[in-house]
Amino acid sequence: MPHPKPEPKSQRVIFQPATYRSLQQGINKIVEAIRPTLGPLPRVVAIDRILDNRMPELLDNGAVIAQRIIQLPGRAEDVGAMLVRDLLVRIRDQVGDGTATTALLFQLIYNEGMRYLTSGGNAMRLRAHLEQGMRLILDQLSESTVHLEGKEKLAQIAETICYDRPMAKLMGEIFDIIGEYGRLEIREGRGRGLEREYVEGIYWERGLVSREMITDHARLRTEFENASILISDLKIEKPQQLFPVLELAIRADVRYLFMVLGEISDAAIGFLLANKNPERFQAVAVPTPGWGVYAQAAALEDLAVLTGGSPFVRAAGDTLERIRLEDLGQARRVWADLRNFGIIGGKGDARALRRHIAHLRACFDRTDNPVEREKLRERIGKLMGGSATLWVGGATELEIEKRKELAERTAAAMRVAMMEGVVPGGGVALLSCRPALQRLLDQSSDSDARAAYRILIQAMEAPMRTIIANAGHDASEVMAHVKLAGPGHVFDVISERIVDAAQAGIYDATAVQKAAVYGAVTGAAQALTIDVVVHRLEQPLVTGREPSKIKRL
Amino acid sequence: MAENTGTQDIVYSLAASPAFDRDGLCFAARASGLYRSEDGGLTWQDAYASLELDAALPTAAVAVSPDFPADGCVFAGVSGAILRSLDGGHSWFVTRLPSPPPFVLALAVSPDFAHDGTLLAGTLEDGVFRSGDRGAPWAAWNFGLLDLSVLCLAISPDFAHDETLFAGTESGIFRSTNGGRAWREVDFSTEATLVLTLALSPNYANDGVLFAGMESRGLFRSEDRGHHWARLGEFIVTEAVNGLILSPRFPAQPHVLVVQGDTLLVSRDGGHNWSPWQAGWSAHQDIASVIAPQGLDPGAPLLVGLVGGDVLRI
Repeated sequence: MPHPKPEPKSQRVIFQPATYRSLQQGINKIVEAIRPTLGPLPRVVAIDRILDNRMPELLDNGAVIAQRIIQLPGRAEDVGAMLVRDLLVRIRDQVGDGTATTALLFQLIYNEGMRYLTSGGNAMRLRAHLEQGMRLILDQLSESTVHLEGKEKLAQIAETICYDRPMAKLMGEIFDIIGEYGRLEIREGRGRGLEREYVEGIYWERGLVSREMITDHARLRTEFENASILISDLKIEKPQQLFPVLELAIRADVRYLFMVLGEISDAAIGFLLANKNPERFQAVAVPTPGWGVYAQAAALEDLAVLTGGSPFVRAAGDTLERIRLEDLGQARRVWADLRNFGIIGGKGDARALRRHIAHLRACFDRTDNPVEREKLRERIGKLMGGSATLWVGGATELEIEKRKELAERTAAAMRVAMMEGVVPGGGVALLSCRPALQRLLDQSSDSDARAAYRILIQAMEAPMRTIIANAGHDASEVMAHVKLAGPGHVFDVISERIVDAAQAGIYDATAVQKAAVYGAVTGAAQALTIDVVVHRLEQPLVTGREPSKIKRL
Repeated sequence: MAENTGTQDIVYSLAASPAFDRDGLCFAARASGLYRSEDGGLTWQDAYASLELDAALPTAAVAVSPDFPADGCVFAGVSGAILRSLDGGHSWFVTRLPSPPPFVLALAVSPDFAHDGTLLAGTLEDGVFRSGDRGAPWAAWNFGLLDLSVLCLAISPDFAHDETLFAGTESGIFRSTNGGRAWREVDFSTEATLVLTLALSPNYANDGVLFAGMESRGLFRSEDRGHHWARLGEFIVTEAVNGLILSPRFPAQPHVLVVQGDTLLVSRDGGHNWSPWQAGWSAHQDIASVIAPQGLDPGAPLLVGLVGGDVLRI
């Protein structure tokens, strides 16, 4: 008879019922740290700093708090906490908001689910019914979704995200103008407040290849009117390589030639600068925008559609030998400084531009990859023809940093809200799902199904209860008044009145609510099926390449 | 019935005082300049006389303040500038637009101009310019305007509240719901031909009705603020729709007038059935513009600008 293998000293295996208990401890710890941050009147969570002796960080953002909690002391509870932590970080990355709601829902579903399972329920069947109820909730949220427009309405959405009225007002104005795909840069301002600036046309982060090409020395930039544009990623090593395009331009009486080139040698730059007749013809060059082959190809494609030119691509073996006048793009104005270049009034075919944008939007809708989506959104935003800059000021560097982070989070959530619509906020939309769940409960005779729907009905109340409690009110008493007021009503913790959420402009982004429900229900349901936990007592150093496997500080 | 202004150049645009029935004041924007009439279009004078120009100043757009009897504001769009008169078109201030010079093809004045001072200008290659200060400084606002060749503008009668206006371009229609600062594409076929004219129902805030006249595909009507469109008069309105007027009492009086070549067609049922404005009448030249300063009631005067430069009063 073979001897059983001894358990390695570095591992410990935990079985039921200890598994549930250990996971629950960790889940409850991390969620209770995030719970106070939900709502417009959040409590603050102080987190001790690891690397220095400065004062603790004062946080009211669930995702940041989750990110700061990198390990719980007990190995058993750490597993549960990290389950929630990874979920919250993923939700934040997906939709920019909704982490506290996710945490609350997760906790309630797990705790109630565990209570049911320890009394003899079937975890796998409970999970299936929880997910079935979740689909009903998602449908209900879709049904109550509305799309808002106008700066006032958008400011209301922004305020429910950032709870900063001046910032919300500016965000409402900015997104009303730039739209959900529009380009918004958030930069550190010089003053103490917030300022915005709108930039006409499209610009890329690539500047003139030589300072000597600047023609307006006061503004340190060059500006051409009715310019012809060479669109390429070609490598120009010798001046002779440029001869065909220069000859073509001069023969065609082109006054200004703006060249986008992959690389250009000093000799070729010197040749361009040796132009003795700038009154008749001027040419400048900028590098091809984008890092990497794919980004450059995308930029060339966008430039070509925008200006009506044809790109010359090195990988396709293109050279300038056979360039024709119609290969050059055209624009009303082109400008460049040492850092950026921009195009205003590209003369490409407007229908082709609209088709191109429609194609990019379709790609955006199809892909789930956040990096790919962000790149596509940037391209669409550029092609829409303008951008905005929000300058964020403050009294201290720390304040500016925090406000910038808030503005970035608000902007990301605003885009989501504009793309996918909004539902009545303050927990109303989730509370409104209860009647549909109740009908499902009434129709069901299976004990696991009934338990699942009962848990979800209870969970749908949790966010509103917590918002009320965080604002310092008796949640049970206020909830009773809210229910008496009828569907769609919410307790506005700012005015301390029960109001109709939609009429009062209290909204939540549908995508955020859906992501919270989806993440919490699937995450908790899966956690309820965990039967065994294997601990490594000496945790190996995580060096995996995948960012999700690295615990981030 | 007809008055010849004497020169042979196209009449791009016409505008009349809101008190036309009393003051008879109207303007004709032509390739040879801007002309002013004080007798309801019977005789015309050079409105740019005070500028003492050496050469003709082609003018493609003219618009009159809705508060004209009180403020005397008239605006004219030329290449690279917008001219502003505060005395009913006698003297002018010039506001230059950013270089390269945009050619102004359309002007739209806010119905609430007395309070918001908002004006918009559509240009041939540079999109839309906006002034929020009674026509003094202008700035380009083209967020989302994917076609910068703006041929016509139509402003909501309830602009003070809904801040809505439409721009007809070479490739379709765009809508702004924030006073012309940003634009969104209206769901109109991307293969559509040039949108030459747009007209909004006077009751647009409630009925959401607008009409679009195309260069080669006739007349379209939307009843839901531009989301869905239906073609009207498919076998009758077949040529370029250079002019399009709705009754000021639309939809109670569902009269629609369109320009078709050298004739005028009218529909008394919102665009379904059409008949000539006057039986047997023809301008004998292509009509380039038309206005109905006193509405479309029978007997109300129409001013008709021709490709040859004449303005007819019928």
